[in-house]
Amino acid sequence: MEDLARHLCELARKRGADFADVRTLHRRASGFLVQDGRADKLSGALDRGIGVRVLVGRCWGFASADSLAPRRAEQCLDDALALARASQDFVSDPAMIARVEPVVAVDIAEPEIHPAAMTVKEKAARLMEYERAGRAAGGDRIVNSVVSYSDGLREEVLVNTAGTCIRSTACRAVCTAFMVASDGRVLQRGVENRGIAGGAELLARTEPEEFSVRAAKKALALLEAGPAPAGRFTVIFHPSITGLLVHEALGHNAEADHVWAGQSILEGRLGHQIAAPAVSIYDDSTLPGEFGSFAYDSEGTPGRRRPIIENGRLVGLLHSLETAAKFGAEPTGSARAESYDCRPIPRMTNTFMAPGDVPFEEMIRGVERGIYLEEGHWGYVMVEKGQFICHAGLAHRIEHGRIGEMLRDVSISSLTLDTLKNADAVGSDFEMKMPGMCGKDGQSAPTDCGGPHVRVRDVVVGGQRDR
Amino acid sequence: MTAGDVYFGICERSVTKARALGAEWCDVAAGSARDIEVSIEKSGIKAADAGQGESVSVRAFVRGGMGYMSASGTDPRDIDEAVQRAVALAKEATADPDFVALPQPDPAEEVEGRFDDAIAGMGVADVVRIAAANLEAGRAIEPDVLLSGHVGLVVGHGALASSTGVALVTEGTHIDASIEAVLKRNGDVGYFYEFDFGRFLADCTLEKVAESAVRGARRFLGAKRIASGRRTLVLGPLAAYGLVGAVVAAANAESIQRGRSYLCGKLGERIASPCLTVVDDPLVPRGMRSGAHDGEGTRRRRITVIDRGTLASLLHNSYTAGKAGARNTGHGTHSGGISPTNLQPALGSRSADEILREVQDGIYLESGDIRPDSASGDISASIDFGFLVRKGELVHPVESAMIGANVFDLLGNLDAVSSDARIEPGLAMPTLRIRDVQVAGAE
Repeated sequence: MEDLARHLCELARKRGADFADVRTLHRRASGFLVQDGRADKLSGALDRGIGVRVLVGRCWGFASADSLAPRRAEQCLDDALALARASQDFVSDPAMIARVEPVVAVDIAEPEIHPAAMTVKEKAARLMEYERAGRAAGGDRIVNSVVSYSDGLREEVLVNTAGTCIRSTACRAVCTAFMVASDGRVLQRGVENRGIAGGAELLARTEPEEFSVRAAKKALALLEAGPAPAGRFTVIFHPSITGLLVHEALGHNAEADHVWAGQSILEGRLGHQIAAPAVSIYDDSTLPGEFGSFAYDSEGTPGRRRPIIENGRLVGLLHSLETAAKFGAEPTGSARAESYDCRPIPRMTNTFMAPGDVPFEEMIRGVERGIYLEEGHWGYVMVEKGQFICHAGLAHRIEHGRIGEMLRDVSISSLTLDTLKNADAVGSDFEMKMPGMCGKDGQSAPTDCGGPHVRVRDVVVGGQRDR
Repeated sequence: MTAGDVYFGICERSVTKARALGAEWCDVAAGSARDIEVSIEKSGIKAADAGQGESVSVRAFVRGGMGYMSASGTDPRDIDEAVQRAVALAKEATADPDFVALPQPDPAEEVEGRFDDAIAGMGVADVVRIAAANLEAGRAIEPDVLLSGHVGLVVGHGALASSTGVALVTEGTHIDASIEAVLKRNGDVGYFYEFDFGRFLADCTLEKVAESAVRGARRFLGAKRIASGRRTLVLGPLAAYGLVGAVVAAANAESIQRGRSYLCGKLGERIASPCLTVVDDPLVPRGMRSGAHDGEGTRRRRITVIDRGTLASLLHNSYTAGKAGARNTGHGTHSGGISPTNLQPALGSRSADEILREVQDGIYLESGDIRPDSASGDISASIDFGFLVRKGELVHPVESAMIGANVFDLLGNLDAVSSDARIEPGLAMPTLRIRDVQVAGAE
C-alpha cells in the first residue's frame, strides 16, 4: 500500500497539488450482543478503502473510494484535484499547511490478546457470564439485560508529499453492560462502559462485580430515588462528570478549527486567565492503553500531552497541520479521521482535569445545600455560546455538609467560562473511566475523559420539582 | 442492465451461497452511494469532498440465531468471506426460539418520487453554486456574520434478496443544506442554524437557508437568565418534532417486548392528551423516509401510532411481529433494528400564533433536544434555543435554563396542536403547547 500511496503523492505534485496526503485503511471488526440469556446476535465488518486529500491554491479537495485498486485510487486523486479547483473562487480564508519534519515509521500496537486469539464461543461465554452475574445481583427486579462487546483491528498507511510515510496497526475493544430494573411502577437503567486501546484482554481484565453487577445495582438503587430539584445550586462533580465538563464544555471549544472559524468562546483568550487557579486541563494521546490513545494522528504528527489550561490560564489549543499553520503554532497531533472516507479534523483524545489538593470529605463539608452529581452519561456543547449540558446517571442531595437523599438521573447546564471560574475546590483524587465515541462533523472518534471531584458554584440543575 | 440489477445479482448469488453453507434463513442487501459535499467555514468555502462507496450486508439465521456481516466494496473475495462468516456466526449464536421467519415476498409499486434525475445529474460546480448563493445571501443581511455548514447530495442504488424470495431493487436521491450563523455584538453572541432537505431539487429552497439562519442569529442576541418556576411550554415545529419523534421511536416493539421501554404495557392505554394523534406514513410521494418496503422487504403501510392520546400501535419488524404473533408494520431495518418513517401529527384548529398569544408566562422553544430517558421517561433538557414569553409575546431569548419533567406529564399536559405546520418532504411539524412544566433558571 505504501507504494500505491507514494505513487499517488508523486502524481499529485505533477498535477499541480501544493500538498497531498493519501490514507489507506483495512479494518476488521466483530461484535457480540447477549440479551436476556442468549448470544443471539453476532456480527462483523470488513472495510477497506482509500482517501486522497489535496491542497490546490486556496482550497482543499478530498475524494475516497472503497477499493485499493490502482485505477480507482488514481480516479480519487483526479476527483480531489477537480474538487479543489472548482471551489477556488469562493474561498474567503485560504487553506494552509504547516511545514513539519517528515516522519517515517512503522507503528504496530500489538494487543495483549489479539481479537482472533479468542474464539467466538469464548467471547460469547464471557459475555453470558457478565449477564448472569448482573441478573443474579438484581434478582427478579432486573427485567432486561444487555451485554455487548466489540473489537476492531485497523491497518493504515499514511503517505504525504512532505515525505511522511507511516504504516500502523491499532486495535480497540469496548464492552457495555445495560441493566433495566422495575418495581412494577417505574423502570430505571444502569449502564457501565469499558474501553481500551487494545484487544480481547478487555474481557480478561473486566470482572463482573465491577461491570454488570455494578450496572444492575445502579438500576436497582435508582428505583428508590426521587426526582431531582430544579434551580441554581452548588454542585460537586464526580470524576465522570468532571470528565464530561472538560470534554464538552472546554475540549470542543479548544479544537483550533472552531477557534479559527470564530465559533469558539476561546477566540482571543490564549494566554488569559479563564478558570479558577486550581484548574489545569490536558489532552493526552500517549497514555498507554487508554481508549483515546494513539502514536500518530491521521496526518502523521506524533501524539503528545497537550496542555490546554494550566493554573487557570489558557495555554494551548488542539491543532491539525492546517490550524497550526494559521495560528503560527506547533502541530499537536490532534488531527483525526474516523475512516478512509473522512478528512482529518482537530479532535480530543484523552482529556482530563489534573487533581488538586482538596479531599472529597472536605469538599462536601463546605456545602450547606447542594447536589452531588455522579455517573456521567452524556453531554453536548454549543461552542458558539459556550453553553453546555452534562447528564448524570444519578445524584444525591448535599445538606449541611453531608450526603443525603438519592436522586434520579438529571442534567445540568451552564456557560463554560462561568463554570471554570466558579470551580472553588478541585479534589485530590482522580479517575478516568469514560470511554466513548465523540461526534463532530459527522465523524466519530474514540475518546476518554476524567479528572478529580470538583465543586462548582451556581450551576443550573434541570430537575422536576421546586427546590 | 441497471445498477440495481447488478446489485440484485450480487444479492441473489450470496443468498444461494449462504443457503448452501447451512443458513436456514438469509437475506442480503447491496448497493452504492455517490456523494458530494461542499463545506463552509468562516463565511467561505472550506473544502469540497466526494465519495463513491459500495457495500454488501449479509444476514444469516440458524435456529433463530443471527450472524450479520457487512463489507465495503464489491470485491468477490470480500463478499464470499462476508457470506461465510455470517453463516459461521449464525451457527455459533445461541438458538432463538422467538425467531419465526423472514418476510415473504409482497410486491408493491415503489412510492413515487424517490429518485430525481436533476439531483443525480448534479456535479460539484452545482453544489458549489448553492453554497456560494448562501454565502452571498447571508452576508447581504449581516456583512460580518460568520457562516459555516455544508451543502451535500447523495445518489444511491440498491437491492435486497432473501431466501424467502424477496427481490427488490431500489434507488434514491437526497440533497441538503445546513448552515450555522454566528453574530457577535459587544461581547454578546447570537447563534442559530437552519437546514433544508429533500429527495427532489424542486422541493427545496437550498439557497435560502443562510438567510433564515442569519435572521435566527439576530433574534438570539441579548439572551438573559430567568428565574425557576412552573411555566407553559410552547414547542416550535423543530422542538415539537423532536419530542414526537422520540416518543414514536420508543414504540419500538423490541424494546417493549424486552421490557426496557417507558412504553411497556401502554399499548391501548392513554399516554398523551386527546389532542395528540400521530401517523407514521411511509407512502408519501417524495417523502424523505418513504418507500414501498422496509429494510427486510416487508410491504409498508400507513399506521396511526398515537390516536387521540392512546398508544394505538407499536412499530414492528419481522422478528418482533413473529414473536408477538402480530402484524408486521414494516419498520424493520436490514441490520435487525426498528425505525419510524415519515411522522405526521394531526393538526389542530388554531394557528401557532393564536396558541402562543394565549400564554401569559411561558417559554417558547424554537429548537431543542427533548429526549426522554429510554427506561424511565424522565426528561432533563437544556433550553438551547428558547425565548421567555409574557402576555403572548416573545420577550427575550433565555440562557442557562432547563426543563425537567416526565414524558407522561408533558404529553398529558399537552393542550394545543397548531393548525399550521412546517412541512418538509413527507413530514409535518406543527407547534405544540404544554401547560405546567418545571423550568430551572439561573436567576
